[in-house]
Amino acid sequence: MTTEAAITIQRVSKSYLESGRRHEIFSELDLQVRRGEFIVLLGRSGSGKSTFLNLVSSIDPPDSGKVIINGVNITGLSEHDRTLFRRHHIGFVFQSYNLIPTLTVAENLLLPLELIKRITRKDRENVVELLAKLNFADRLDSYPDRLSGGEQQRVAIARVLIHDPDVILADEPTGNLDLDTGKQVLELLDTLVTKAGKTMIMATHSQEVIGKADRVFSIQNRTLVSR
Amino acid sequence: MSSILDRSSRNFLWQHPWQLALAIVGIALGVAVVISIDLAMESSLTAFEQAGKAFTGTATHRIIAGDGGLDERLYTRLRVEQGIQKIAPVTSGYVELAQHTDESFKLVGIDPFIEKSLQAVWQQQQNANKTSDFLTRLLGEPNTALMSEQTARRLHLKINDDFTVMADNREQRLKVIGLLAPDNAVSEQVLARLIISDIATAQEVLGLFGRLSSIEVLMDKYHPEILTKIGKVLPANALLVSTDSQSQSMREMTRAFSINLKAMGLFSLLVGMFLIYNTMTFLVVQRRRLIGSLRAIGVTRRQIFRLIIGEAFLLAIIGTLIGIALGIALGQGLLYLISETINALYFRIDTTSLMVTPVQIGKGVLLGMGASLLAVLPPAFEATRFSPVTVLTRSQLESGSRRLIKAAGLISLVLIPGGMALAFFSGKSINLGLASIFLLLFGFALLTPVCTLLFMKLIERLFGRLLGILGRLPARMVSAEVSRTGISIAALMIAVAATIGMDLMIGSFRQTVAFWLQASLPADLYVSLPGEKMTADKTLADQRLKEKLAKLPNVQMLSSVLHTKIIADDEFTQVSVFELNAKLKKSFIFKHNVEDDLWNRFEQQQSVIVTEPYAYHHAVRIGQKILLQTAQGKLPFEVIAIYADYKGDRGHLAMSRQNYRHFWPDLGYSGIGVYAKDGADVQKLENQLSKLLTAEQSVKSDRAIYKASMEVFEQTFTITETLRWLSAAIAFTGVFSALMALQFERIRQMGILRAIGITTRQLTALIVSETGLMGLVAGLLAIPAGYVVAYVLIFVVYQRSFGWTMAFYFDPWVIVQGVALAFIAALFAGIFPALKMAQTKPAEALGTE
Repeated sequence: MTTEAAITIQRVSKSYLESGRRHEIFSELDLQVRRGEFIVLLGRSGSGKSTFLNLVSSIDPPDSGKVIINGVNITGLSEHDRTLFRRHHIGFVFQSYNLIPTLTVAENLLLPLELIKRITRKDRENVVELLAKLNFADRLDSYPDRLSGGEQQRVAIARVLIHDPDVILADEPTGNLDLDTGKQVLELLDTLVTKAGKTMIMATHSQEVIGKADRVFSIQNRTLVSR
Repeated sequence: MSSILDRSSRNFLWQHPWQLALAIVGIALGVAVVISIDLAMESSLTAFEQAGKAFTGTATHRIIAGDGGLDERLYTRLRVEQGIQKIAPVTSGYVELAQHTDESFKLVGIDPFIEKSLQAVWQQQQNANKTSDFLTRLLGEPNTALMSEQTARRLHLKINDDFTVMADNREQRLKVIGLLAPDNAVSEQVLARLIISDIATAQEVLGLFGRLSSIEVLMDKYHPEILTKIGKVLPANALLVSTDSQSQSMREMTRAFSINLKAMGLFSLLVGMFLIYNTMTFLVVQRRRLIGSLRAIGVTRRQIFRLIIGEAFLLAIIGTLIGIALGIALGQGLLYLISETINALYFRIDTTSLMVTPVQIGKGVLLGMGASLLAVLPPAFEATRFSPVTVLTRSQLESGSRRLIKAAGLISLVLIPGGMALAFFSGKSINLGLASIFLLLFGFALLTPVCTLLFMKLIERLFGRLLGILGRLPARMVSAEVSRTGISIAALMIAVAATIGMDLMIGSFRQTVAFWLQASLPADLYVSLPGEKMTADKTLADQRLKEKLAKLPNVQMLSSVLHTKIIADDEFTQVSVFELNAKLKKSFIFKHNVEDDLWNRFEQQQSVIVTEPYAYHHAVRIGQKILLQTAQGKLPFEVIAIYADYKGDRGHLAMSRQNYRHFWPDLGYSGIGVYAKDGADVQKLENQLSKLLTAEQSVKSDRAIYKASMEVFEQTFTITETLRWLSAAIAFTGVFSALMALQFERIRQMGILRAIGITTRQLTALIVSETGLMGLVAGLLAIPAGYVVAYVLIFVVYQRSFGWTMAFYFDPWVIVQGVALAFIAALFAGIFPALKMAQTKPAEALGTE
């Protein structure tokens, strides 16, 4: 981990209009995440954990404030440029795995790469190698809905890693899994992501992961509180 | 059923307003097209029937004659000599108003004081209102007329105003002496295009001096001797027909036309049913989680089934009501097109407005509700299959569908040959011919999902290699949800196949008619000689004109034709009486090999040649004899040849002038063909010739006749074209609806793609490529389907309907247009969902379950 800031969040506010009333999620939020740091975000359901990750990833722009990743103020970018930025620098792991159902396991992994560059033989070899590591060597051509939840989440983690993004955002990655499978997935994330020096923010209910985090935050009163 | 359960269903529908609206649009459009055709067709025919009754009242029979009508002395003989009281004379014809040449009126000359039981309703009303004063004036004052209040108002005429009518270039001033007040919509409709006068005035205006168009007869079962009495004095050129049978034969005449139009309406409803099925299936599939939850808490399969059927019922009611309203509006538009076609092909009708009856509305309601509920049965059964324990994934549902798709493919292999067999082995039945087209289209529709899977596999390989995973994705998306995409593709394929089929048929027909016209117009100029054929003056004048034409320096030879009516096998039949020359003989296109002495027999023997439609409708073969009514009684004429003719679908006979003159009086000519000498200036000859003609006569070049005939041809197909585009519009709505639903079902998947870095442009391209591929496969499949439809239309349906055979002309441009139509329609249908999806924020899309 270096002292350089990978993510800087400055005075970010976000609210939604719900049934005609404005519902404020975050107010004047500030946070700095160093490169290679592993942040865990705790909070009850509906507290805004997913919204926070969406703000960081630029999927959802803030009402005010700035999100700076690798020195780039992504809140100042156009929608198109934000998409291109996300494509290159951010990887997502979702609670519902979110693999593309019409693509095979191998294609799901190759798609983020294809968006960045022309796929080479080496890339294909890397995919096979990575899937072999995850004991998926024989499931390259399987479609996601033929896999169990744990298997799908492992493929989703592999998809994040294959194009080597700077920042990884994980939204309740074990939320849909049983305890044992959840542990395996966290182990995998720890092994493959943290040890590879990636910056990661994980929103979770799991207490297991707290011990592995560099810092732990919870969302209280529309802001982040360190624990 | 539980009201909370109902509410869960209603809330879901409200949350999907687009799908709700499109389902209603599907039902509404299908019903609208069927109802509009039915209303317009019935209104046209009813108007014709009612117009007859407007001046015949309760007559049971009618005495009619061929050209020139009846001698008015017949009426006197029937009344005085035979003592028949319940008869009424009528002289009628069409006139134009000098100030309103764009519309024509039927001038009906009546006897205002005929037997009361024979009076029309309006006449009885005027008598009851003690306003018979103007009926007396009608008889007493020459050149007086009656019309309806509405017509007078429209023409800005008041009582005692004069107006000028024109018939065959004759002008006559008439005075309005009374206005009729129709007491209901039907009377108003009937009287709208009528001008009523006494017999003498009508005869003068129409140039029918001493002639009657018909004599109306009221006969009851207690006086059968009347029939014998009439028979005693009936001339050879007249027939006594029952008014019912006349009305029946008029409907019989238009039956094929009517069936073909109604089939197009039902075809629209079939495409509409696909649309309803598709939409309802989506609405069910989208709710599989909800339905699973309902089943888990104890809702039975039957309740789920009722819930879905209940929803469909509600949608069907709304859609049907909108469809009926839309159908009435559309019917008003179609009325004009249908009337024009009937006018061009069969007989003259004047239709001003649509007549809407409860029976027709009832038919629309039954069709709309029935079709909707039928279309919703499969998805309703599908809904009951959802397990309460595990909610089936999309892929599990799809793997179930794959088995069905294979089965459908196999069934199609039975339906398509079955359809062809039905087409060619179903005798003369038009209905079975059309049913075979439905069977064929249905067969091709069932084959569509299998072909889609194969095509997408091919595309996936091709584009995958060229464009990588993103290039593979559109085809993969189509295949992955083939149970949904397949139906949309099938609906579009059916519409495009029908378009290709109709285009090829119309094109073939056009080519056939063009070839026939070119062949059958051997003369350089054609002189048209209209006018009343029974007058001795006309016959003499025609002969003199012919002699003058023959003497013109640049005229090589002449030919002539007389179009008249002769009673053949107890019905009036059109007969063309030819005076042939070598060139005209060559212009006949025979439907079989002819012997060398044909023309000799035609001139010398008691023989006729018949047109192909006549031979078809009357089941006449060569060598058979037709009984023709002559002054010497019924005489047999041998059919010695059958020739092509596309002037009308009832057909006619042709005989030599020499032959005709032996048995019937000389009525002059209807037309004279003028053949210029080689190298002569035809335009100069035309100018010379025009100077010899009266105002009623005209001369036209073969080119001008060809052009005018082709214009009439195109006009008769306007209604077909219009209905075809309506069906295509419904299919497009279906595809649009299906694609919208499909994309909304995939919103989360699109959110994932956006999250991993796919730009809005790439997303739009992805969706539009997917829909484009769907259109392409629909277009490609529509080629063989359309070709087969064209084949059956040409060689089965049209031949059975009209008795014409035509050559099949394959126009590759039609195929290109059809495929392009499918592709572009699907591409357009994808643009809106694509833009909508691109506008959706990824965060929102990801939050959608």
